[in-house]
Amino acid sequence: MAVLEISNVTKRFGTLTAVDKASFYVDSAQILSLLGPSGCGKTTMLRLISGFERPDEGSIRILDQDIKGERPYERNVGLLFQDYALFPHMTVQQNVAYGLKHRGYDKQKIPVRVSEMLELVKLSGLEKRRPAQLSGGQQQRVALARALAISPAVVLLDEPLSALDAKLRQQLRIELKEILNSVGATTIVVTHDQEEAMSLGDVVIVMDQGKVIQQGLPTEIYADPKTKFVAEFIGRSNWFSGRLRNLVAPGVREFETAERITVLVPEPDGYGADDTDFEICIRPERIHIQRQAVEAVTLSENVSRITGTIRDIAHLGAEIHLVIEIHGGRRITATEQYLGQTLEQAGEEVTITFRPEDCIIVPAES
Amino acid sequence: MKRYVDDIGFGFVIMVIGLSLVFLVMPIVVAVMMSFDGRAYLGMFPPPNYSIQWYQKFFSDAYYLHGLKISLILALIAGIVSTASGVSAAIVLDRYEFRGKKALETFFLSPLVVPAVVIGFALLLFFALFGVFSGLPRLLGGHIIITFPYTVRTTLAGLVGIKKSLTEAALSLGANERQAFWDITFPLARTGMVAGLIFAFAFSMDDVAVSMFLTSPQVYTLPVAMVSMMRTNFDLTIAAGAVLLMVFTVAAIFILDRIFGLDRLIGQGIFKS
Repeated sequence: MAVLEISNVTKRFGTLTAVDKASFYVDSAQILSLLGPSGCGKTTMLRLISGFERPDEGSIRILDQDIKGERPYERNVGLLFQDYALFPHMTVQQNVAYGLKHRGYDKQKIPVRVSEMLELVKLSGLEKRRPAQLSGGQQQRVALARALAISPAVVLLDEPLSALDAKLRQQLRIELKEILNSVGATTIVVTHDQEEAMSLGDVVIVMDQGKVIQQGLPTEIYADPKTKFVAEFIGRSNWFSGRLRNLVAPGVREFETAERITVLVPEPDGYGADDTDFEICIRPERIHIQRQAVEAVTLSENVSRITGTIRDIAHLGAEIHLVIEIHGGRRITATEQYLGQTLEQAGEEVTITFRPEDCIIVPAES
Repeated sequence: MKRYVDDIGFGFVIMVIGLSLVFLVMPIVVAVMMSFDGRAYLGMFPPPNYSIQWYQKFFSDAYYLHGLKISLILALIAGIVSTASGVSAAIVLDRYEFRGKKALETFFLSPLVVPAVVIGFALLLFFALFGVFSGLPRLLGGHIIITFPYTVRTTLAGLVGIKKSLTEAALSLGANERQAFWDITFPLARTGMVAGLIFAFAFSMDDVAVSMFLTSPQVYTLPVAMVSMMRTNFDLTIAAGAVLLMVFTVAAIFILDRIFGLDRLIGQGIFKS
């Protein structure tokens, strides 16, 4: 059942349309990631849901009730701020109890609820500390306990991990997901970080220029992006623009790139043989490298092969990043797993291969 | 060669600091010592013997005592009114964006740059226009105006350090705007507000220029009484009055320092993160 439903919400600031006819919903106990670059409208969306901004059009419904006209304190929404916004003059205990006090919780039960929440975030024993006496990670968990204590219908997390350093981030990401799942919180995570979005979210929504561009499972968003923007925003990719040519097998077409290289790609859905420009994208990890050169460009057994020269090779531990120059001077990035093999050398001639299903094909952006 | 230029420059700076200290401190020392002069007439410095006769005279003189009473009442009411309005103005300036905000801020702080004589004279004309001739309301108006910029400023300094997300967090947790103000903004900005109140009190206590224009024969402040006595009946009671005024101001600053720490008040407010 949908706990939160956004339909056709538009918000303008002067001439700028921050959110443009956005629609989506979040199911009970689901974590939804709202992903996009800065200025894409995701923060405005969060402020619309929490009530700090009012939509110009559209409706926001929580548990089937329109909350458009309600003030922030009349909505049952929990917020985790990017800077945590802990009250510096209050102890951890008072911070967590604040929402309970103002939401008319039974006074006798507040201390019990507070220690329950602190136990949940593993901060028992720090009740009397002030926020300034806590580490960044601890502060974040206090903020989370404070937001969850009021049992909100929807929890909104604003860039929850961005203020932490890289190592701590990964650890807290796992903890955060466990905590949210254990209380069954219906959650929206707003972030510009694709790893954060994909690891926390059951569902990911990609936003750009105020619009919802694509919604799907993390895997779908990565493997089957519907636009160039989504493909480019999530993960790294090699792009070629060009036109579709002959059908060579069912569902497989030749694609001639602007560099006059022909590769095999999957036929896009609903393609009529018009002259539409397309772009294809090949993820670096989908490119295989063969260590001997073959003659020029050949297409066989439904595999595209291109010869090239290694220009750069960087060993990053588990992964090896390669830059390969194919003819025409075009450079391709590829990644390989390091499994103890002898590494290629810069200047070595190689052949890169990929299958049609390794290519993502999207309409060219005008 | 270069180093001598440096040394001379350094010596010059030390000398300037020394001289300023002498000119700041010496007159005060002289005034304090003279206020304890044991002689019955105005003699040369330093006094040969000491007594508290001028203080006794001060406290038995109805003219001075009335001035002191008016000064204290005035400083207290003006301080409170000016703090209340200064806090409201500072909150509006801090929390909201609107056209002419910068202009309004400058306008609120303008009594700092407009000469006190001009304010006093302008207020005299203004009150006369509305038929207000009694001293207390006129003085009160004048003192609120001259102390207002200080309360706006210190409160603003306290508010700037408070992140807006704190208020939003309180709202999202179920507090309404009023509760969020009293629970969050007020305790965090309180030091700035109290500093404003004490500055306002101190400035109101020792203002002469504005008060001169606005006193009436029945309602006058202690500094005005001292100035007029200096003209008509000069004796060391004035020194005793001056020392008492100083004691009030120093006491206010001492309290301020003991409770909040002066350096924290003059800085950006206590809670920054």
